[in-house]
Amino acid sequence: MTWSRCFSYGLLVAVVSLATADVSARDGQTVFAESCATCHGEAGGGTDAFPQPLAGDLSVSQLAALVQETMPEDDPGSLSNDEARAVVEFAFHGFYSPVAKARSQPPRIELSRLTVRQHRQSLADLVASFVGTPNIGDERGMKGEYFPSRHFKDRVFERVDANIDFDIGSESPVAQMKDADQFSIRWQGSLLVSETGWHEFVVRTSQATRLFVNDNEHAIVDAWVKSGDEHEHVGRAYLLAGRTYPIRLEFSRNNQGVSDEKVHSQHEQLEKASINLLWKPPRGKLETIPSRAIAPDWSPEVFVCTTPFPPDDRSYGWERGTSISPAWDEATTTAAIEAAEYVATHIDELAKTTLSDEQRPAKIKDFCAAFVESAFRTPLDEAIREQYVDRHFAAAEQESVALRRVVLLALKSPRFLFREIDASGGDRNTAARLAYIVSDSFPPDWLSRQADEGKLTDESNRRLAAQRMLESRVARQKQREFLRTWLQIDGVVEMQKDVEQFPGFDETMVSDLRTSLELFLDELLSSETADYRELFLAQEIYANDRIVNYYGGETSDPRFLKYRLDDGRRAGMLTHPYMMAMFAHHDSTSPIHRGVFLARSVLGQTLKPPPDAVAPFAADLHPELTTRERVAMQTRPAACMTCHHVINPLGFALERFDAVGRYRTVERERPINDRGRYQPRNGDAVEFSGARELADYLAASSQVSEAFVEQMFHFMVQQSIAAYGVETKPKLHQAFISSGYNIRQLAIEIAVAASPIGREHDAESLANQP
Amino acid sequence: MSKHNSRREFLRHLGLSAAVAPFVMNSNSLGFAATPQRKQRLVIIFSPNGVFPDEFWPDEVGKDFKLKEILRPLEPFKNRTLIVHGVDDRVRGDGDGHMRGIGCLLTGIELFPGNIQGGSDTPAGWSSGLSIDQEIRNYLQNDPTTRTRFGSLEFGVMVPDHADTWTRMVYAGPNKPVAPIDDPYQMFQKLYGELKDRENFASVLDELQGDLETLRRAMNDEDRKLLDQQTTFVREFERQVADDSAAEQHVEPKLEPNIERQNDNMPKLTAMQIELLVHGFLNDFARVATFQITNSVGQPRMTWLGIDEGHHGISHEPDTNTEAVAKLVKINRWYCEQVALLARRLDETPEPGGDGTMLDHTMVLWTNELGKGNSHTHDNTPFVMVGAGLGFEMGRSLKLGGVPHNRLLMALAHGFGHRIDSFGNRDFCGDGPLLL
Repeated sequence: MTWSRCFSYGLLVAVVSLATADVSARDGQTVFAESCATCHGEAGGGTDAFPQPLAGDLSVSQLAALVQETMPEDDPGSLSNDEARAVVEFAFHGFYSPVAKARSQPPRIELSRLTVRQHRQSLADLVASFVGTPNIGDERGMKGEYFPSRHFKDRVFERVDANIDFDIGSESPVAQMKDADQFSIRWQGSLLVSETGWHEFVVRTSQATRLFVNDNEHAIVDAWVKSGDEHEHVGRAYLLAGRTYPIRLEFSRNNQGVSDEKVHSQHEQLEKASINLLWKPPRGKLETIPSRAIAPDWSPEVFVCTTPFPPDDRSYGWERGTSISPAWDEATTTAAIEAAEYVATHIDELAKTTLSDEQRPAKIKDFCAAFVESAFRTPLDEAIREQYVDRHFAAAEQESVALRRVVLLALKSPRFLFREIDASGGDRNTAARLAYIVSDSFPPDWLSRQADEGKLTDESNRRLAAQRMLESRVARQKQREFLRTWLQIDGVVEMQKDVEQFPGFDETMVSDLRTSLELFLDELLSSETADYRELFLAQEIYANDRIVNYYGGETSDPRFLKYRLDDGRRAGMLTHPYMMAMFAHHDSTSPIHRGVFLARSVLGQTLKPPPDAVAPFAADLHPELTTRERVAMQTRPAACMTCHHVINPLGFALERFDAVGRYRTVERERPINDRGRYQPRNGDAVEFSGARELADYLAASSQVSEAFVEQMFHFMVQQSIAAYGVETKPKLHQAFISSGYNIRQLAIEIAVAASPIGREHDAESLANQP
Repeated sequence: MSKHNSRREFLRHLGLSAAVAPFVMNSNSLGFAATPQRKQRLVIIFSPNGVFPDEFWPDEVGKDFKLKEILRPLEPFKNRTLIVHGVDDRVRGDGDGHMRGIGCLLTGIELFPGNIQGGSDTPAGWSSGLSIDQEIRNYLQNDPTTRTRFGSLEFGVMVPDHADTWTRMVYAGPNKPVAPIDDPYQMFQKLYGELKDRENFASVLDELQGDLETLRRAMNDEDRKLLDQQTTFVREFERQVADDSAAEQHVEPKLEPNIERQNDNMPKLTAMQIELLVHGFLNDFARVATFQITNSVGQPRMTWLGIDEGHHGISHEPDTNTEAVAKLVKINRWYCEQVALLARRLDETPEPGGDGTMLDHTMVLWTNELGKGNSHTHDNTPFVMVGAGLGFEMGRSLKLGGVPHNRLLMALAHGFGHRIDSFGNRDFCGDGPLLL
């Protein structure tokens, strides 16, 4: 966030144009040639001194206000109102606006590879399609089975335990088991994961224990042998967000080893027993696995590719796969080897065979054909099948060698790595696009079948298909990832706060707040209305006792429940403490961070990076100034104001929420001024006081909802929306509004609109579409 | 020595700079008197449940001795065999005889207190120290001239699939048991997996290039650029694979496919592991190896010898049960045959880049967690060595009359030039390494 460290400064310079009457009616082109072209070049293409082309998304009125205030640089304010307007009209329609830019260079749908997320999900699904699918119900917690023996024999009791944190002591944990000295417990279920990366697991117990995560045979924690003083055991597993994984925890009270109870009774020395199962997901803190992250239902193992990949290009603000690099190519090779190894070691399960099965070679070959077909998202014609499958079985002495070769070749093939590479794929390509748009993975069998039956040419069938796909956990995860991106909380979030000013705002609080925010997003996405305006307007947030007590309420309930804090002065995600604290410095608020977030993410404006990286003025050096005054002072120069005249007044509206997001009415014993304003793309400038008024404005703003539509399109489709014809955006926007701003509905409409269109459709043919 | 024209050149060959020459010349291990750069290797083979001493230990002492029934498979290597009687595992503390037997065998130090209850005595956990093979491995890995890809390889056969004190012999440190790999295919993958992957890739690259070309032709100019790039990457990868395989020419054993890990396949599995071990040494992947046949209290049923009961069960029978004794002799003789097979395979293989055979550079040590099965004694723990390379005088039967086995472990390290002054529990290291 270099941007945020830059401040530009200032109070608005009151520009009073004195020159009005005498210079009449110079037209826009002339004004541009006389006053602008020296620096900006004849067609706004830039010059050596100012190489950046004039292009952006300000409206004519926004741009006119800006030009009048700040241009020409050597004599701002010297243009008349009419001249400013005229020159802006000329520039706007000639080359500045996105439309003008598109006209000169129409965006097209580019050939893309799978993004990293798509690659990992596709590999997982490739394997998953050969094993069962999990069926996770609404119940949460782990299924606990209780046995009155050391080794899980003669079960006497079963129940669902919300989480595993038991101080058993010297008693039997359940009445059904009489012997408090000798028993075993097995907990099983599915882990529901919402972060991708290495998850650390910790088991704390003085007794024998084993933990299995996503591998039912090899424990990630094997502490069946207790040795010395080790009571804390750590293991880790790489897990993908949006999926469920089998988890099993085994616990046995008392000594292990021989079965002779006489010997045991001679030597047993019973300590008090306890067991606690914790995890630390990426970005989280070490905590007892919460019950919302475990279900008592069964899940199959998932193949998770752990090969590190270089990050995808995000220069347009969304991840896309339009470029490749040697590092990426190498990662795909390593990933292919990792997958081949997994497939080879699990082949009997995947191909549903055994070593003694006479049909084994044939079954493995069939498996290979099905694997390649799924990987390529297209039916295999004879030539392709011969090239990718049959030839290797004919050439290799052993089917195990052929199997590895087929998997390696398939996963290195451009048919797997690149999206819809064969433009003649027809409806199968539509199915593939629809699946990748909705869930970042290849189409399930039923969708491919619909494609083959010709159903996907029909819009209403595509809508039904998208709807069905969206019900999957992986698709829901993609929605969640989009909202994370929109809120800018998808990366590494650092939140160190001044300990003296904000005692108690520690790692635990940050983690609790993150949970609070994620719960809000989950609820929003799964609610009937999925109304995006709730992002601005919700008055309640999820909070546990720590959060409630810190933010001025009172409770002793440790569960995350909904609370209305600060008498309804809060405004959805805008004032969520996590967001407020993230867009703030360690010791003070940052109206600039907050303003940039509002301008870019929410209002969808392009902001140029600041000309220089500038450190903010330290609060201590200006003890007489409020934060608002300090920011205004520092961004006063004209070079800063080109953007900060937009940024600052947006951020100022949130000044009643301090650097950890607590509500306040004074700063340095002076009342908070939270008045702000914004000049929208269309219509008059608006003024607002405080977060609620700002939120009301944003929730109703057409500019904001349009920006949301565009960003969601880009996140889901990974191609420029302009490549889909000029009508696509307004149509989707209208559909979004008509649906009552339903986010899920928008996702479906995006998939319906974008899935039939591929690289083979050029801009011209789209323009001619009815 | 004639290959080196001068002392300086000799040192350069060793990889030592002239600056350290004065120091080197004063040290015993690298002076001219020592053998230069001779590869040294160690294999420790474990079999369980003690032996039947009367048919194991030779009656005689010295060079002139007769091999009894159990050791008779070693006849072809008799003059390269060293049989050391009278070495006792003195380590006591927590754990039953079998647990301490395997857990202290190579570590020479007590087990931690823990929760594993044996057939007698107090419960115990893992060993509190590392094992001698890992000590030697670390010593060799710390020196660039003896460093190898893996340092050590841990083989097993039919080791039960649960980690406890009875199934672990090798320790990388206190509380750090190392699991032996008892699946030959898994070991093959570990040793040659990368190489095989490269070979497999190499075999499909032509097809990949062909398909890329087909797809390229159907592209417009803009999109073709991306595939051109991909084509270049694949071509570079192809060249790299060619370079790599030229640089590393490994020999690998051919394994019979699809041999399941089950009792009756134990002879086949053992032979496969021995092949992998010999080839691992041949390729210089490691200089230290262990081979753990089952586990302490191991229960292999040697049906191929006509014995249907498990080994451990039989080992508890009294000496008066002549039928059981006969079986024990057969069982132990079978273990000895595996030791002899390894020795023979090493001896059939010329030392790569050196003189003689691989056995001339390798010491094979066969040992056991107990001296005798039905008494659970750790006195006279079997230590039989075949091979050469550690400077021991071979072709002898020794009776040392009861010395702690820590001193024998130290002797192994000293054989590699690693002059430790104690190993494991110091109380058992007085008088230093055994002079063999």
